[in-house]
Amino acid sequence: MIVSYNWLKKYINLNNVDPFALAKKLTFAGVEVEEVKKLASATNLVIGEIVNVRKHTNSDHLHVTTVNIGKKTLQIVCGAPNCRENLKVIVALEGAKLPFGVIKKSSLRGEVSEGMICSLSELGVDHKFLSSKQLEGIEELDNDAVVGETNVLEYLGLDDYLLDLRILPNRSDLYALLNVAYEIATLENLEVKKEDYKVIQGDKSSFYVNSLTPQCPQFSARVISDIQVGPSPKWLKVALQSMNVRSINNIVDIGNYVMLLTGQPLHMYDYDKLPKKELIIKDDYVGSFIGLDEKEYQVQKGDIGITSNNEVMCLGGVFGAYSSAVDELTKKIVIEVANFSFSAIRKTANRLGLTSDASIRFMKGINPYQFESVMHLATDLILKLCKPSSIEEIITYDQRSQKEVKNIKSTYEYINNRLGTSFTSEEILKTLKRAHIKVDVLDDKSFLATPPTWRIDLVSEADLSEEVIRLIGLEHIKGSLPLLPSTLGGYTPFKNKVLRLRQYLSHRGIDEILTYSLVSKKEISDFVLLKQTKAYKLLNPLSEEHMYLRLSLIPSLLQVASYNQARDQKNLALYEISDIDYEGQEKTHLSLLLSGGLLLQDELNKTPYSFYHLKGIIEGLARYFHLSLNRLKFEKVEKTNVELHPGQSAYLKFDNQVVGYLGKLHPLMAKKYDVEKEGVYLLEIVLDDLLQSESKAIVYEQLSRFPVIKRDLSLLVPEHVTYGEIKKTITSFSKLINQVNLFDIYLDKHLPLGFKSIAISLTYLDKQKTLLDEEVKEIEKKLIELLNKKHQIILRT
Amino acid sequence: MKEHLEKLDHLLKLITNKIEEAISKKQLIEIRNAYLSKKAEINTMLSILKSLTPEERSVFGQKINSVREHLFQLYEQKSNLIDRADLTDKLNKEQIDLSLPSVNYTSGGVNPVFLVRDEILNIFIEMGYEVKEGRDVESDYYNFELMNIPKNHPSRDMQDSFYFSESLLLRTHTSPAQARVMEEKKGELIKVVCPGKCYRRDNDDMTHSHQFMQIEGLLVGQNINLGHLKATLDLFIKKMFGPKREIRLVSSYFPFTEPSVEVEVSCAECDGQGCPTCKHTGYIEILGAGMVHPDVLKMSGYDPEIYSGFAFGIGVERVAMLRYQIDDIRRIYQNDVRFLKQFK
Repeated sequence: MIVSYNWLKKYINLNNVDPFALAKKLTFAGVEVEEVKKLASATNLVIGEIVNVRKHTNSDHLHVTTVNIGKKTLQIVCGAPNCRENLKVIVALEGAKLPFGVIKKSSLRGEVSEGMICSLSELGVDHKFLSSKQLEGIEELDNDAVVGETNVLEYLGLDDYLLDLRILPNRSDLYALLNVAYEIATLENLEVKKEDYKVIQGDKSSFYVNSLTPQCPQFSARVISDIQVGPSPKWLKVALQSMNVRSINNIVDIGNYVMLLTGQPLHMYDYDKLPKKELIIKDDYVGSFIGLDEKEYQVQKGDIGITSNNEVMCLGGVFGAYSSAVDELTKKIVIEVANFSFSAIRKTANRLGLTSDASIRFMKGINPYQFESVMHLATDLILKLCKPSSIEEIITYDQRSQKEVKNIKSTYEYINNRLGTSFTSEEILKTLKRAHIKVDVLDDKSFLATPPTWRIDLVSEADLSEEVIRLIGLEHIKGSLPLLPSTLGGYTPFKNKVLRLRQYLSHRGIDEILTYSLVSKKEISDFVLLKQTKAYKLLNPLSEEHMYLRLSLIPSLLQVASYNQARDQKNLALYEISDIDYEGQEKTHLSLLLSGGLLLQDELNKTPYSFYHLKGIIEGLARYFHLSLNRLKFEKVEKTNVELHPGQSAYLKFDNQVVGYLGKLHPLMAKKYDVEKEGVYLLEIVLDDLLQSESKAIVYEQLSRFPVIKRDLSLLVPEHVTYGEIKKTITSFSKLINQVNLFDIYLDKHLPLGFKSIAISLTYLDKQKTLLDEEVKEIEKKLIELLNKKHQIILRT
Repeated sequence: MKEHLEKLDHLLKLITNKIEEAISKKQLIEIRNAYLSKKAEINTMLSILKSLTPEERSVFGQKINSVREHLFQLYEQKSNLIDRADLTDKLNKEQIDLSLPSVNYTSGGVNPVFLVRDEILNIFIEMGYEVKEGRDVESDYYNFELMNIPKNHPSRDMQDSFYFSESLLLRTHTSPAQARVMEEKKGELIKVVCPGKCYRRDNDDMTHSHQFMQIEGLLVGQNINLGHLKATLDLFIKKMFGPKREIRLVSSYFPFTEPSVEVEVSCAECDGQGCPTCKHTGYIEILGAGMVHPDVLKMSGYDPEIYSGFAFGIGVERVAMLRYQIDDIRRIYQNDVRFLKQFK
């Protein structure tokens, strides 16, 4: 909210207060001032009157004017279209400092110009305060302006500072200028001058008001007759202008003025346009409503409808009806001063997209204890400015659950204990009183505090403690560490494993990325290979791009790969670990992407990535977490899908459950995500299943004292037989076969058709005794027989 | 006898010279074959012993043995010398280009948000805090109501949220972890830090991101006060940003704390003197904190008459951006590998 320093000065003496220092003080006390700015800035101005205008002979838009500035006349060249004789104007004299520069005596196309006739925008007034007419030409002053007057900014009400306040939700009271004055008075130890108004009881009224909903606990109305609608006086225009509100006419302006000052929104109805001399508040009206903007709105159950003869005359606190609006012809009005529940206003205003100065105040919460004084203040202004013939009494419906401010019982000890301070009772009492809180001392320990009506945020002892410390100053808190029993800090066992996993991957040169959890519709159904069920879908997305909570991390990784590949970063190793939530499940996934190759020594020694890199990462991490490799299985993906290459992908099974998948990216997916067609490999694993399982405890195994015997076998293997099958046959054949190492595999046209060549080296070891060559040869002979019988494998000679 | 001794002397001189003059292994082997083999004179001379008197035999025997021993030793020494020189020659010829690129053992880059998150968590772990994580999908009840933000309350304006249904949303802050931990601990002392991704319905720009990471801290016990909060955060800030940094508290508002404060840290660029980094204020806003609101304690089963506590929330991206001078938050979520590799 923007607050005028000049307007504040009407209520507090700020003569010795620097606006910038005040802004700092307010900010520290929790009322952040985002900016202090001068409304206008200019020196060396004078009010003049144009006494003669002639066309510039060398220009089709410039005028040469003679301006009377009191003691003398000046010749000034002016280009404004509204430049004319007998107009009173603002003149910037030679040497005047304006926001855009300094005015000099000059010659414009051969004519001398001894100054400048100004528009308000040239004085630095923000465009949002100005009408289009004001923006297009020079400022036209009223006839009462005195020629020769040099206090021009003061005359215009522009010698003002504006404080831009960022109001936090608890301080809704600060939407009233008067309460800002109280806040400043508290901080600066000043007195607030009360607004002066006459209380008029008024004549007997037959107007009827009633509320049929708890959403409107209080509603007051007053009928005023024979008002004269016309322009507002200058002081009122200036006041509104300084707070960014455009002047309309006296009656509308009074409503806005009172609201800006007190924070209580008012509404005015044209009495003669009401179908019945009543206003009934309902929250169950359903139907349409034509607003002040002549547009039609749908009214729903829950909206607060202020009705007359069951027609909505106003959506309470949100928007008036066109049918009962006050206009230039209005003679008799009904003024409304009411209190509506903030949640009802919020729902209606948000649904219809109608936020106004009034609805914002209701939504944030208003002072419920000031409706009578507000009505008197408004009446007083109408009496002064609109010359009514009669004023009726105030008719009030009042079912407020609380008619007085509740007091708070507290102790000095509580406040000091909460703050960690040792303020004396005097300091605490003095501070609370400064904040306009009424304090009744109960005994030497406790007191009763009654906050001022506008501070609806002060309801508990904790609130009082905050009030004390923000006013005395948070710098008075001397910190000391809490003395507590020792506690064991750290991660949960699972998160500890995740942390170790991240170290394992990072130490292998793989970059850890962080991507957005929300993905688009196009991505949400890709790579859903791990039994994820229904994805969460946003009701209110900001964009198509971020609409669903992802089920897989792979689309995000592919996007990152695409981004980097487009920037000539072709060799990528990336991973991300993230929570994956979908309906009914909460999991943690690891996903990893390899693209290009592993550079061992620049391009000198580069290994293109393959399926086996992924497999190696998985087996490596299994070993790292002491999970026996026997529990892992890489199983061919039987069902064809378009995500992965059908011949180079696998499901990862752990204890016979699918926990992940790995493989080469399918070319069609590569196209969709705009990544390289070749050489992109992916894996995704559900970590919960893998890391939360039992792992083997480390127990040292005695190293064998006996020598090993190594034997190489060169085998002709039918093409369809996998290395895994051969290895399994070999390892389960004899306990003495300690290790199986593959050292060559190839397909060649010299081999018999349908066969491949596999060379392996077997390590034999008996942990109990020294093995003899004969024993090994015997085992090998039987093994070859078995391989032949089982897999049709032939020993090459 | 004399002539034998002279002969021996002669041989000694001759062979010594030969060995000393030898410059290659080949020459040395030739010398050995010629002068030190079994058939060489120095060995055949032993047969002379038989023709000598016992006294002469003893003298001559000793002499010839010592000469032989000397020569063999000399030969061994020379042989070693030449071997060593040959090896040095051979090794010198194996000079490689030391400036060729190294074999890559570099560890991977880490997104700076994780780097900063882990560092912050470690500081609190050292202070005995447990790490507890909530989930991204949270109920309206935990995210708002238990945090003292009822439906349609004005303070909901502070956090525009992404909803999945009327009651389910993406958490807007890590604060719901406070309620969850209190429910779990049921009156025990609580010291936790809760990291997590949070989401707000903001358009992404240089300083805003619809997704960001926060770390919530919560300590609940008996007789906990604002001074304890200040000292704890002071310790944290000094550990994180250096022992010279000072903190300052500014009054603020959060629905779930009372009193609420913004915590600012003295600017490291200008040491609190004022510079463009701190917008000439000398301090930089780093996190929000406060004493846990009595209603929040009560709603989660901690009697505010007995217990009190403090809570704080740290924006991880903000700290990362300050520390590494990252100018645009979107960089963090772009994951350009040239960016990532700068953080280890």
